[in-house]
Amino acid sequence: MIDIRISNCNKSYGSLRVLKDINLEIERGEFIVLLGPSGCGKSTLLHIVAGLDRLSSGEIEIGGRDVTDVEPKDRDIAMVFQSYALYPTMSVRSNMEFGLRMRGKPLSEIRPLVEEKARMLHIDHLLDRRPSQLSGGQRQRVAIGRALVRDPKVFLFDEPLSNLDAKLRASMRTEIKKLHLTLGTTAIYVTHDQLEAMTLATRMVVMKAGEIQQVGKPEEVYHRPVNLFVADFLGNPGMNFMKGHLRIDGGHVVADVGAATIPLDGYAFATPPADGQAVVVGLRPESVQPATGGEAFVLTLKPTLTEHTGSDNLVVLAMGGEEIVGKFPTETLPKLGEPVTVSFDLGRLSVFDAETERRI
Amino acid sequence: MRRFLQRHVSQVALSPSLALIAIFLYGFIAYTAAVSTTNSKAFPRFDSFVGLEQYWRLFHTPRWHVAFTNMFLFGGLFLLVTISLGLVIAILIDQRIRAESFFRSIVMYPMAMSFVVTGIIWQWLLNPTLGIEVMVHQLGFTSFRLDWLTNPDTVIWALVVAAFWQGCGLVMALFLAGLRGIDEDIWKAAAVDGIPAWRVYVYIVIPMLAPVFLTVVVLLSLSIVRAFDLVVALTNGGPGVSSDLPSVFMFDMAFRRTNLGLSAASAVVMLGTVLAILIPYLYVETRERA
Ligand SMILES: Nc1ncnc2c1ncn2[C@@H]1O[C@H](COP(=O)(O)OP(=O)(O)O)[C@@H](O)[C@H]1O
Ligand SMILES: [Mg+2]
Repeated sequence: MIDIRISNCNKSYGSLRVLKDINLEIERGEFIVLLGPSGCGKSTLLHIVAGLDRLSSGEIEIGGRDVTDVEPKDRDIAMVFQSYALYPTMSVRSNMEFGLRMRGKPLSEIRPLVEEKARMLHIDHLLDRRPSQLSGGQRQRVAIGRALVRDPKVFLFDEPLSNLDAKLRASMRTEIKKLHLTLGTTAIYVTHDQLEAMTLATRMVVMKAGEIQQVGKPEEVYHRPVNLFVADFLGNPGMNFMKGHLRIDGGHVVADVGAATIPLDGYAFATPPADGQAVVVGLRPESVQPATGGEAFVLTLKPTLTEHTGSDNLVVLAMGGEEIVGKFPTETLPKLGEPVTVSFDLGRLSVFDAETERRI
Repeated sequence: MRRFLQRHVSQVALSPSLALIAIFLYGFIAYTAAVSTTNSKAFPRFDSFVGLEQYWRLFHTPRWHVAFTNMFLFGGLFLLVTISLGLVIAILIDQRIRAESFFRSIVMYPMAMSFVVTGIIWQWLLNPTLGIEVMVHQLGFTSFRLDWLTNPDTVIWALVVAAFWQGCGLVMALFLAGLRGIDEDIWKAAAVDGIPAWRVYVYIVIPMLAPVFLTVVVLLSLSIVRAFDLVVALTNGGPGVSSDLPSVFMFDMAFRRTNLGLSAASAVVMLGTVLAILIPYLYVETRERA
């Protein structure tokens, strides 16, 4: 069942086109993450779903109802902001109660509801404090609590964890995930952090300059990026790119990438390959592994730099005039300058047209 | 010597101005306090020590009572009118209206004028044979009367209106800056929560402006105690002494009635009033910073 439908949505500020013909359908219970670099229009799209910004053209439906011209308060949504946006002059309890009181719910019903959600978020001992007496993580819990008590049809999150330190961010991330698993409420979550996007999303939407690049399950977007932008934006360290040309040789397609010839027999082309087509072949660092024998495709390359990250060794390898990175297990640490044999996982290759930058 | 200079260069650089402040501010405050214990007439004379007699006399002078009461009456009304209307105007301008800078300039314009000019302008406007009253009569409402300047019971309103006209711009600017400093997301959260704008102002935004209120009250209070030129230009204390303020009383005693001792006593009482406002303010301010 479709819960949110965004149709042909455009938004301009003067001559600046911030959103360009956005179309998106969200099923009930999905956790959609909008991911993209700063300034690509994620917050604007979220504000439009919330009704805080007006569309230039297009339509928004929530729960089967056209809400394009409906006030935020009547859209049955709740929102969590990066700056927490708590009401500083009120106690935590009042912050959580205020929205319901405005809706005319009797206090005798609100009280137990607020206490239940506060217990759920482990902030029940903070109910009588002011926001200024709380830490960043506690403030964000209160902001989430304020959204929870409203029991909305849709949760909207605008970079809720960006103001927290790394450790707190990770633990809050898991908590948000658990909350979604418990409540099953439809959610749209904006972030520029790919780790948050990969871990939280049931489906993610990658955006660039006001346009949707790709919509899909996190592993699908990660392993089968539709273009060079998405391939490059996801992954840390980023995907290896090898420039070259396609060659069709007696029914076999291969890619000549300078120092090597990569067979593409197993590659599922989306568009028919052409002989001599300029391409970029992409392979993630974890698909470049030390060879153990028996692999379909191996190369012998010289390491120029190694880095320990704790969980892996990142090995920079010279390949022709370019460099590629392999993510090796910690027990394998090649010596600099001594050639190592590495295998490429050909099943994980991505091939892009060099001109259109699209996956082929 | 050089080591000493190197280490204390900032203190050395500041010392001339500190010395000047010590002499001309605190020195003369002490001097005034000393004069207030003498029976000085046209010139200060220290051979006529009378203790606190001048204070006793001051508080038995009916004119001082009028002036001192007026200060609180004028001050209270002025604070109330200026703060409430200044805040309302700031909120109206904060609605992202068109031609915002135009309206802002209009409200701020009177600030550029001295109190003497303000006083004269309002003397004309409130003059029954020249100003607003004549204008309204010409519109056909011949029973309209505006006799604030000539009626001892209402003359205080003339002072309040003129002082408001001058002070409103500053108050509006301070409140507007405060309003603009409030996180946009709070407004968005309130919109999603379904809180009507006026409730957001009453319950959330205006309480958040508490520090601005404090600053405004202190600034205006000091201008109330200092108010002198406005009264001289607008009413000159009249009719009779009905619009007298302590500053006018002090000036009159010192330079027209040659009663320097009494004048000095009134000055010390005014200083006490200022300190009564400032000390709690500084206390709150420094405690918040700490
Ligand atoms: N009120 C506004 N007026 C003009 N431009 C705006 C406004 N809000 C956002 N923008 C512009 O729209 C673009 C997208 O902004 P935003 O949606 O906040 O990006 P993101 O959340 O992805 O970082 C940016 O280039 C920003 O400068
Ligand atoms: Mg944003």
